[in-house]
Amino acid sequence: MTWADFRLERYGRIVKPGAVLLLLTVLALWRVDANVADLASGITKGVSIFRLFLPPAWSAFPSMIQPALVTVLLALTATPIGAACALAFGLAAARNVAPPWLRASARTAMAFERGLPEIVILLILVAAFGLGPFAGIIALVIGSVGMLGKLVGDAIEEIDPGTVDSVACVGATHAQMIRFVVLPEILPALLANMMFRFEVNIRASVLLGAVGAGGIGYELTLAMNQLEYGKATVAAFVSFVLVFVSERASNLIRSRVLAGDRLA
Amino acid sequence: MLRVTNLTKRLPDGTVLLDGITFTVRKGEFVGILGASGAGKSLTMRCIVGLTSASEGEVAFTGEQGKTYTTTTIKGADLRRARRNIGMIFQGSNLVKRLSVLENVMVGRLGRINPLRSWLYGFTDREAEEAMDALSRVDMARFAARPTGSLSGGEMQRVAIARAIFQRPLCYLADEPIASLDPKNSLAIMRLLQPLASEHPILGSFHQPAMTAEFCTRVLGLRNGTIVYDGSPKMSPSQLAAIYSQEPNDERPSEPQRRPKGPMIGGAVMAAGNPA
Repeated sequence: MTWADFRLERYGRIVKPGAVLLLLTVLALWRVDANVADLASGITKGVSIFRLFLPPAWSAFPSMIQPALVTVLLALTATPIGAACALAFGLAAARNVAPPWLRASARTAMAFERGLPEIVILLILVAAFGLGPFAGIIALVIGSVGMLGKLVGDAIEEIDPGTVDSVACVGATHAQMIRFVVLPEILPALLANMMFRFEVNIRASVLLGAVGAGGIGYELTLAMNQLEYGKATVAAFVSFVLVFVSERASNLIRSRVLAGDRLA
Repeated sequence: MLRVTNLTKRLPDGTVLLDGITFTVRKGEFVGILGASGAGKSLTMRCIVGLTSASEGEVAFTGEQGKTYTTTTIKGADLRRARRNIGMIFQGSNLVKRLSVLENVMVGRLGRINPLRSWLYGFTDREAEEAMDALSRVDMARFAARPTGSLSGGEMQRVAIARAIFQRPLCYLADEPIASLDPKNSLAIMRLLQPLASEHPILGSFHQPAMTAEFCTRVLGLRNGTIVYDGSPKMSPSQLAAIYSQEPNDERPSEPQRRPKGPMIGGAVMAAGNPA
């Protein structure tokens, strides 16, 4: 085999999938009636609308603080509650802790939940609890469990079976093994993932606000609907600051947790 | 006392891993099991503590107040009661890495204390002091507060021994306690184990005949799941050969040679991920 043949075999492999992808993209664009003229007029229209948002109505800023706090509180209460529930689900989802039927049902429930966007969960919950932050918190808790529970379950399954055997050999009960092997081994991972989930929950909390959970997201939609675009800009700015700060904070705490973990 | 009678382990496909293992470990003995990898040393130990179920035979262990436990058949609370009297020393890497050294030692007492108390409150000051004493015995007291994962292999092995001492067992099992250690550390660990045997018997598996000759009171030779030697730790070369030599008929079928993947250029293999 020559070098040219080798190259053909190596790079020829991406030709077919690439062609299929291109064809699908073109078909989709054709189906949604995409064309360059619309794009051009849309951009000019977009720019003129964008002008409406400036200058920001900074006078509305003080009235945004309370809704911003609601958004933060939503994520701040939902994340630890979600993490605690995730611990229970994670134990149920781990092969080395739970019997097969429990593991299968816990994993199925969490996979089903991950398939549902928070908004869908909220819309269902709003029907039950009515509009407001309470439905928002429950939606975020459920959303957190789907992700954190799976990560906890996977972390538990990765615990060295030799460690589990060795503690079983001193005559420890199942519950004692969870307390002295499982919890210490997975807690750093759970804390780090919980911080990451806090960041996700802040974003989700802004979004949920827009569909009725209250907070800054609600202010944003309200301003848009009332055509107070300057006010909407302020609300968008506040949400940006919330997300940005929560991301920095979460990264900082996570690196602290993991740095401690490296020593451990 | 630990009596193993006709211990046999068969896989579902009929492969015999242990074949009629019979021996007794008595007070004051330090019994070393020698044998090639795969001879069944670790499996024998796992069957003794009930981590692996035996196909046939039984293990009888005399626990507290002379009560006899048949660890091959009991389960649940009975098995836990038997296990708390057997100090199992695994390779040190089986400690809980994210607990401190002291906590790992105290874990040895879990079988003896109230489960609810251990869950909610943990250990008492007195238990911590006793655990410190156990750590002092293996010269590890100054590491008590260290995270266990930060220790070296030899240090972890010492902690594993301290845990077994703190467990206050009636017999010790040591599964290849020096297999992954350098000669100096191996010697140190053997010197720690030897005096323990005068209190409670030790059954350990080893790969170094020189070590068992120096420290053990008796050696069992295991080969292909059967005991081929049981006697003095000072073995002649021919006795050793009987344990370790390869006979044509016990060679395992070697794995089929895997053909390297990737295109060949002039007989050389191109790594698939590295065309340069």
